[in-house]
Amino acid sequence: MAKVTATPVSTLVDEPVHIRVTGLKPFQVVCLQASLRDEKGNLFASKAYYRASEVGEVDLEQDPSLGGDYMGVHPMGLFWSLKPEKLLSRLAKKDVTIPYEVHIELREPHFPIKGVVVSPPMDSLTLERWYVAPDVTRIQVKEGRLRGALFLPPGEGPFPGVVDLFGSTGGLVEFRASLLASHGFAAFALAYWAYDDLPSHLEKIDLEYFEEGVKFLLRHPKVLGPGVGVVSVCKGAEVGLSMAINLKQIKATVLINGPNFVTSDPHVYHDQVDQPVPCNIEFVTTNALGLAEFYRAFEETANKDSKYCFPIEKAQGHFLFVVGEDDKNLNSKVHAHQATAQLIQSGKKNWTLLSYPGAGHLIEPPYAPLCSASRIPYVIPSISWGGDVILHAAAQEHSWKEIQKFLKKHLLPDMSSQL
Amino acid sequence: MIQVIASPSNALADEPVSIRATGLPPSQTVTIKATLKDEKENVFQSKAFYKANEAGEVDLERASALGGDYVGVHPMGLFWSLKPRKVFQRLLKRDVMNSPFVITLDLYDSVCLQDSVTIKPKASQIVQRWFAGPGVQRKQIREGRVRGALFLPPGEGPFPGIIDLFGIIGGLVEFRASLLASHGFAVLALAYFAYDDLPDKLLEIDLEYFEEAANFLLAHPKIQQPGIGVISTSKGAEIGLAMACYLKQVVATVCINGSSAILDFPLRYRDLVVTAIPRAQERIQVHASGAVRFRSFIDDPWNKLNPHSILPVEKAQGWILFIVGENDESLDSKACAQRAMDQLHSHGRSSGRMLAYPGAGHLIEPPYAPCCFASWNSGLPNPVLWGGDPMAHAAAQEHSWREIQKFFRQHLPQSRSKL
Repeated sequence: MAKVTATPVSTLVDEPVHIRVTGLKPFQVVCLQASLRDEKGNLFASKAYYRASEVGEVDLEQDPSLGGDYMGVHPMGLFWSLKPEKLLSRLAKKDVTIPYEVHIELREPHFPIKGVVVSPPMDSLTLERWYVAPDVTRIQVKEGRLRGALFLPPGEGPFPGVVDLFGSTGGLVEFRASLLASHGFAAFALAYWAYDDLPSHLEKIDLEYFEEGVKFLLRHPKVLGPGVGVVSVCKGAEVGLSMAINLKQIKATVLINGPNFVTSDPHVYHDQVDQPVPCNIEFVTTNALGLAEFYRAFEETANKDSKYCFPIEKAQGHFLFVVGEDDKNLNSKVHAHQATAQLIQSGKKNWTLLSYPGAGHLIEPPYAPLCSASRIPYVIPSISWGGDVILHAAAQEHSWKEIQKFLKKHLLPDMSSQL
Repeated sequence: MIQVIASPSNALADEPVSIRATGLPPSQTVTIKATLKDEKENVFQSKAFYKANEAGEVDLERASALGGDYVGVHPMGLFWSLKPRKVFQRLLKRDVMNSPFVITLDLYDSVCLQDSVTIKPKASQIVQRWFAGPGVQRKQIREGRVRGALFLPPGEGPFPGIIDLFGIIGGLVEFRASLLASHGFAVLALAYFAYDDLPDKLLEIDLEYFEEAANFLLAHPKIQQPGIGVISTSKGAEIGLAMACYLKQVVATVCINGSSAILDFPLRYRDLVVTAIPRAQERIQVHASGAVRFRSFIDDPWNKLNPHSILPVEKAQGWILFIVGENDESLDSKACAQRAMDQLHSHGRSSGRMLAYPGAGHLIEPPYAPCCFASWNSGLPNPVLWGGDPMAHAAAQEHSWREIQKFFRQHLPQSRSKL
């Protein structure tokens, strides 16, 4: 009798699952389908076709998918190739305390045609995918001006502290911080606009607000000092870089697909004001599907002249640049190379650059579905983020491990110095 | 005074238009937007950003677009880069005799990336694009089993006759037939399913139906004897190639992105039944946009299992022109055409010619038609991926249309009277 198994059944969302099928006829071709509903009820689905071995089994860790949403040997392909039924939707968990339920179905191969009745699956199962490990604590933060959520690992600690910043979607995005806490970091998801009583529109980046966030983190009894790290993406990485330069408590900064200059709103720190770099909207292009590609907008300004760029050589901590070479929203590869060139010129070696061919803008923890285009508030047309589904998945897996290694290396005390 | 001038403002849809903007501030960066509403009120739009010269002018025949829906010097770019507001819709003129497509060109003296109700264009110009020239007549055809529309050029004739076949879209597609008639050919747009009292679904190809249509055309007083041509796309091109092989009435056949083997449904001609190559469900692929890519959906038709499904092109008595888009994502058109060409050569025939266009997709249409990268196709819940790089696709459409007309003038019996 045909059966599909997946282990473990309940895991963290950044951990792999081993999927197998047994009880098929020799060389039988079957279809494996995955689906989940997000918190708004939107359906995300994927499928792949496999041919059973001569003993009627399929093992996703060894067997190639013949077609569907991905081809080749990809044990987690059903997860990272999930696609929204409602076009241009992005999968982004809001309530990290509740898992996603992923349904896996084993079916006969079929091509869905309207009006044709599909026979029931041969077998199915449901997996839980969590954004928090058991006993991770979530603390809503509303202190002074700060608005966000602090995630603490279980135990006494103290734990290395990390400020987690997202980008142009605004609001409070918690899912990466909760995962970092599940791996031993005290992670502070910090909102800076469009959340609670924070400004609804971003008019300036007030670095004193982020300094308050860093000090709050360092004051916490379970946070290991004397410095903290920053994990930041897109506009968050613009802020992260600015923090690393101006705030001496920042020891390790992860910059994912970020600009090395001020893009749209001035950065203010005490008396210092950094104005945005002029951009040329006329260089924005639209791809064959009508999605806007913004990555050429700074071609004539920031890309050409480093006078526009942040003085990254003034930063005292370490940097990890994570670049998706197929980023269609920002010319991430050029920005990162410019920043590292500045560091090289100043004789500094405090950086690592990880550049991933085929990866797009939205590099997230492993197994997150590739979102290659979506709508964001206030912007029409919809935005292309780029990314080839298979290469993007590989970049997510590799970079997440590297990010954690990097943070631990620079935030945990060096044991060898204590001999 | 700021003006945008298009000439001719009233022309056939396959004729170029010269667009100029004048009266602008020198070196001003401007936006030219094109908007069209189809017969179902679906909106299609395109835009490009240009920099005016020192005289405050932009001449699209010389100026280079900086960004928008295309980049570089493309005088007709606003037409072939039109995109639907609702993604996956295809632009297709249904009523070809009584109304044109109306395109509104709007000129803004600034960079306008987003549509705005408050920012009004500084100048506008309406352009009409017709699918039938002056004097072209349309006759609804309901003779025997034949269902379609016959388009006759003005004048006494007789004219070289052509049958026009489209693909799985079904119904009656007239716009190419009416355009060809505007260039001196008598063209029968022939429906074969999902039209009038024809079968709802395509379950087999009954070549005798197409022979009836060929005989009907040849019997018409205004059609030049003794042979006719066929222009055919996609599934229609599979049928067109079969007509070339088996019907001596067909002396010149244009096959655009079609298979040279019978796929999905059998072909029948009198006693002969040509079996079809079945689809391999597991080889279907899903593109990042959610559109289905059929290109890998068939096994290699030339493997040893399917010799009987391959069309015997060496039996064709007339001339064949294969037109293929190398970026066709629904069929490996180039491989199919190359195989047919090889078959001809191996039988000592030199009656075939292939025009392969790098970057062009599946839906190669008359010039300036927008490149449709993916669209909904009847009966399927997912859109279908057609492929095509818009700039290369546009060039392919321009070049192939000229070649198609040259081919027919060369190989169809010409009328004795002057056109």
